[in-house]
Amino acid sequence: MADKGGATPATYSPSPTTGRKKPPLLKEDWIRPDGRGFHQCRPALLDMHRFLSDSKCSRIDGALLIGGSAKRHLGPVSTRITSGVHGSVQPDIDFFRTGAVNAASGSAYAEIGNTKVIVSVFGPRESKKAMIYSDIGRLNCNVSFTTFATPVRGQGSDHKEYSTMLHKALEGAIILETFPKTTVDVFALVLESSGSHTSRCLGFGKRSQLEIMLCEALLLIDSMFLCNVPLQEVIASDNISECVSGDLPVVISCASLALADAGIMMYDLVASVSVSCFSKNLVIDPILEEENCQDGSLMITCMPSRYEITQLTVTGEWSTPKINEGMQLCLDACAKLAKIMRSCLKEAASDSQE
Amino acid sequence: MEKEIRGIQLPLSQTQKVRLKKALELLQSLSLKVNVDASVVVADTITVDHEDGVLKGHGTADLNGEVVATICGVVERVNKLVYVRALRSRYKPEVGDIVIGRVVEVAQKRWRLEINYCQDAVLMLSSMNMPDGVQRRRTAVDELNMRCIFEENDVVCAEVRGFQHDGLHLQARSRKYGKLTRGQLLTVSPYLVKRQKQHFHHLEEFGIDLILGCNGFIWVGEHIEATDDMVEDQVNQSDPQVLLPGKNSVSLEEQEKSYTTLETRKYICRAANAIRVLSTLGFNITLEIIKGIIDLSLSMNLDIHDMLGSEFCVLVAEKEAERRSSNKKKR
Repeated sequence: MADKGGATPATYSPSPTTGRKKPPLLKEDWIRPDGRGFHQCRPALLDMHRFLSDSKCSRIDGALLIGGSAKRHLGPVSTRITSGVHGSVQPDIDFFRTGAVNAASGSAYAEIGNTKVIVSVFGPRESKKAMIYSDIGRLNCNVSFTTFATPVRGQGSDHKEYSTMLHKALEGAIILETFPKTTVDVFALVLESSGSHTSRCLGFGKRSQLEIMLCEALLLIDSMFLCNVPLQEVIASDNISECVSGDLPVVISCASLALADAGIMMYDLVASVSVSCFSKNLVIDPILEEENCQDGSLMITCMPSRYEITQLTVTGEWSTPKINEGMQLCLDACAKLAKIMRSCLKEAASDSQE
Repeated sequence: MEKEIRGIQLPLSQTQKVRLKKALELLQSLSLKVNVDASVVVADTITVDHEDGVLKGHGTADLNGEVVATICGVVERVNKLVYVRALRSRYKPEVGDIVIGRVVEVAQKRWRLEINYCQDAVLMLSSMNMPDGVQRRRTAVDELNMRCIFEENDVVCAEVRGFQHDGLHLQARSRKYGKLTRGQLLTVSPYLVKRQKQHFHHLEEFGIDLILGCNGFIWVGEHIEATDDMVEDQVNQSDPQVLLPGKNSVSLEEQEKSYTTLETRKYICRAANAIRVLSTLGFNITLEIIKGIIDLSLSMNLDIHDMLGSEFCVLVAEKEAERRSSNKKKR
């Protein structure tokens, strides 16, 4: 993976960043297209008719984190709410529902902003690939897009890298020993995508610096537990040329809901949130336009009750304090998202008690 | 606020929705009071008295000394054992269960059946009665003739024999087990069929057979007497060596005799629709309830296809609520 600055051949230097809209973001008073504050996620609701206001993320004081191990306890989660008075613009509505697909063992449908995802879980069941005896189960993930998912109607593609990322995010949370010799299949279908584009990682020459920053960030994580993700894999995820978009976090959260619905044993629900960085500001839960002009993105998939991260994906240009702040924002948002997912499951459970 | 019940996808008019809701609420109030606190979601802490030693059962895990749920379900406590019971669990086979399966593969000396479980079940050739009824060692010729007994996609009824190293084993050593013909196979959720003393039912007034498989597969078919098969086969077969699969040497007269009458077929469809309605509503499937629904539909002179409509569904729910409340009052 070593790509030192001096040894890169000329052909690898990134193309000049033409076509990227820089100016609007450098202004301090930039307003996000949907009227949210910088640290506001698209709010999550249980159903279309109610609006919970506790999904706004609180701004964590950076001073808590720099210099010393991060405090485990993030502080009271719901009290510190930023100025986030909505204008007349109706914020995007979230929607989670389980039991969407009758034929599957478990399924979930999630709508966060414009992203609509349906995930169905089959299993545990036999598969031809799993005929070899193994004392742990297999997890098989597949993420595909419908042809009408993107604004420009294209070929519905089967994203292999999303499938791998989904697999990595989920495998840390599922207790594989409970279904030996069998396979659990997770099929995610993105019905409408709010953003998926390719962007090159900035500054290949600056890679070593990025590595340093990543290592510092990982030292921070040292006080938490990084489960099942070897260090090399974390750094390698910087290599991906496709930016983590607004879709994958939704897909991951929805998939964990579907797994819980199917009755597969898990250590905890998995919630995932992404954050974008624009030179000075951090924007949580970015949408497509914001992603197009971002400097870097960070996606965290974590298990809130255990305070463990299953997957961490960093791309682009980050400075150490920014990455610390971004991580804390993400973790806070994940905790809130997990609470909402939990209440969705509880409702579904109480409905079906007969 | 619309509370959608999982699986009920019928177009209900406003009044029907109200009636259905009332009936379901009545049923809920009649059922044993389940503590709302008892339902847990993944990674919820289970309140446990740490003074007594506690046994962590199925569906629980240990996290920093606390008992945490790993699945969504209801917490059950039995003395010192704490476990989480899932609400919609998969079929869990037990020895002696009657199951119905579909043949997926004909393998060496065995058939593989799909029975709505994690793995495919195995029915060994030696666990099957031979067509000629003689108890003997299975030879290579028998192995070659396996396809004459069951082929792919045949529906087979069998009993769970046990768990072996290579999976779940079944046996079909009795007359009442074996290939099922002339009927319909229905799939419902496994937890709707509770284990009872009798799973084979014969509805005389309709002339149909009803087999409630514990794995959620239910067979409704014409009543077949399991007696003469063996004798007839011996008479018919002149050359017992290599049989051609599929050519059962059924003559024209026999085919006429084996014609299922329209009446019987109608009853089969009625029973099947009754089971479908029960499955949609999520009620337990037992013989009395099925009989009650068939009688209800006959008394109303309902067309068979109307049984799947929303009106009948609501009626069934109301009738079930009535029946349960009257049962409770009797006690």
